[in-house]
Amino acid sequence: MSVTVQLTYDMAREVGEPRLEISGARTVADVVRLTREKFPGDTTQFDKLSRVAALAVNGVLIHHRRGKKTAVEDGDLVAFVKAAAGG
Amino acid sequence: MIKGYAGRILEIQLETEKFVFKPLDEDIAQLYIGGKGYGTRLLYDLTEPGIDPLSAANPLIFATGPLNGSVAPQTNRFAVVCKSPLTGGIGNATCGGSFAYAMKRAGVDLIIVQGSARSPRRIEIEDDAVRFLPADDLWGQGTYATQEALGKKLKHAVIGPAGENRVLYAGIVSDERIAGRTGVGAVMGSKNLKAISINGKRKLEMDDPDAFKAYTKTVRDLFKEHPVLGESMKRFGTGAIVNTTNGRNIIPTHNFKYGHFDDAMQVSGEHMEEHELVGVKSSCIHCPVTCGRDVEVEGVGRVKGPEYETLALLGPNLEIGNLKNVNEWNYLADDLGMDTISLGATLSFAMELQERGMFEAGVSFGDPDGISELIQDIGHRRGTGDMLADGTRRMAERLGGMEFAMHVKGLELSAYDPRGSFAQGVEYATTNRGGCHVQGASMYLESVGPLTINPQNLKLKADIPVIQQNLACAINSMVLCIFSTYGMFPAAIHNMDPSSRTHWALSKMMENMGPLFRGFMGIKGKPMLWWEKWLTYITGETMSSGHIQEIGARIFNLERIYNLREGLTQADDTLPSRILHEPTFPGQTSGHPLDALLPRYYTLRGWDAQGVPTTKTLDKLQIRHSA
Repeated sequence: MSVTVQLTYDMAREVGEPRLEISGARTVADVVRLTREKFPGDTTQFDKLSRVAALAVNGVLIHHRRGKKTAVEDGDLVAFVKAAAGG
Repeated sequence: MIKGYAGRILEIQLETEKFVFKPLDEDIAQLYIGGKGYGTRLLYDLTEPGIDPLSAANPLIFATGPLNGSVAPQTNRFAVVCKSPLTGGIGNATCGGSFAYAMKRAGVDLIIVQGSARSPRRIEIEDDAVRFLPADDLWGQGTYATQEALGKKLKHAVIGPAGENRVLYAGIVSDERIAGRTGVGAVMGSKNLKAISINGKRKLEMDDPDAFKAYTKTVRDLFKEHPVLGESMKRFGTGAIVNTTNGRNIIPTHNFKYGHFDDAMQVSGEHMEEHELVGVKSSCIHCPVTCGRDVEVEGVGRVKGPEYETLALLGPNLEIGNLKNVNEWNYLADDLGMDTISLGATLSFAMELQERGMFEAGVSFGDPDGISELIQDIGHRRGTGDMLADGTRRMAERLGGMEFAMHVKGLELSAYDPRGSFAQGVEYATTNRGGCHVQGASMYLESVGPLTINPQNLKLKADIPVIQQNLACAINSMVLCIFSTYGMFPAAIHNMDPSSRTHWALSKMMENMGPLFRGFMGIKGKPMLWWEKWLTYITGETMSSGHIQEIGARIFNLERIYNLREGLTQADDTLPSRILHEPTFPGQTSGHPLDALLPRYYTLRGWDAQGVPTTKTLDKLQIRHSA
């Protein structure tokens, strides 16, 4: 089972890719843990950059589901999303 | 005269080349502020029902408000009001830059352009002098070359070839900003009017200049420290929102068929800052936010870069992930003088028609080839471009495909897919000028802002648009930049961990505080927010959120009865079939639940079941109207 993780721009710059493919995750908490493991260097930078981002599964914030216990399925898109404004 | 106004309306008759300065009507100013509100009142009163928008009978109204001419941040925009050739209903658009400031310096609150010139003309206004000049040498020139030729002494509002050729979504350009929506540039072109140039030496009189000055410094300091106005927009422009809407599955992709595009990051504000940004000179006068981005376009040089709407609708919506392409197309559209939102949605509609074998557009999703040429052809109404110059609704009426023509009331949708933003969908469906996001910006409270409610249930989804549309009507009448409202969430909310329990609790509280929210917004008390204080200090009239909501509702309802007078009906309060019926989120069986939300929206508005404002509502809001 594999999910795609859409990173924020700052996270993508650290990783060198806008997205990661993560295998073996059952919940969003798993996705976060596995993404952290794929981050270069220690976890400090991941923690700093991910702290300002909400998490969405297929576009829906996990706030509106079961938080980090939200289940993920094969092919899901989990996105780290920063608040923004524009128009 | 109330302070903050110049006290004069300049009425111009193009046929006779006569002009007259008339006194501003203080009663109208008190009821409608200025800008869009005052302009709409004039349009309603000056025109007979059913006029042809591209005829001499359609007045073109340039309107400022009491905040214009001041040095307060984000307060130098003007509104343009007329009957829209694109929708057949109310037409309006606002524009930044420095033209509004120059209008007030010339001692003019509004300019009403009546009639049509027999040959290309331009107008110069300096204080009390008004000059009518030939513009044959400028006709056919782009907006950049036209403004350069007109020089720097005066400030200009001009059209490009798109306006001259009556492209139905042509805009009016000032500096590098555009009054883009609803085809106001086509109306100016139909009048054979290439440019209005203006300046003067008058100063804005305020009721309490000392309080204004001190408070403005406070607001500037607040903006400087604010995570959106002082940081995100300053660094990334409005393009910062690309990655957010992409992550929330609401960035239009493939003509709104999908809400996510894998290469969206390549056209984001962050990518622009890192790879394309060369400066920020294209921002509006006295604005510390400086959201304008300058980029280099090959063969042209340094120009204003694309905003979020342009990035999304000419990027992911066309399945293009190359920012250099979007930069170039944005420049072409600005130089031709046309709205990039309608342009992007019309191009994607043409591409889908071609994909289905219904039209030979010569352009395809994911392929930049031919798009530059087609944009030029649209601006000049050449070949296939002539068809696209009429926008998606008219194309669909001729060629079919209305179910995937992405417009409301004829105005193409902005770049927030309402299937992931239900309140924004109600706003699109009911906004009087059509499918637009800056007449309320409900998506900020449910999809992209720092504290959002669940965008996919029915809670507050009819309530938020009413409050936001009222606020936006007032904002567009002051005339203030709508981005100012993004400062309403304090830094503490932005800096909160979005995964925290506190954040979750605040979000839930917000979602369940509908009656309290409406009640609070309706209180006529002391001015609290910066635009309320500025209005109070400048005009001497106390303005609170309750006053603002009432004035906004008055303007919104006046627009509504204008639209009804022009033949629009309840049936026009809808969304494209694709949005209503095709799901883009896993687990959904259909799209936006508009039918479940409209009745409540009508009730909150004080309208009957057919969407007509009741006499009681109109009387309560003191709206003069014909039976």
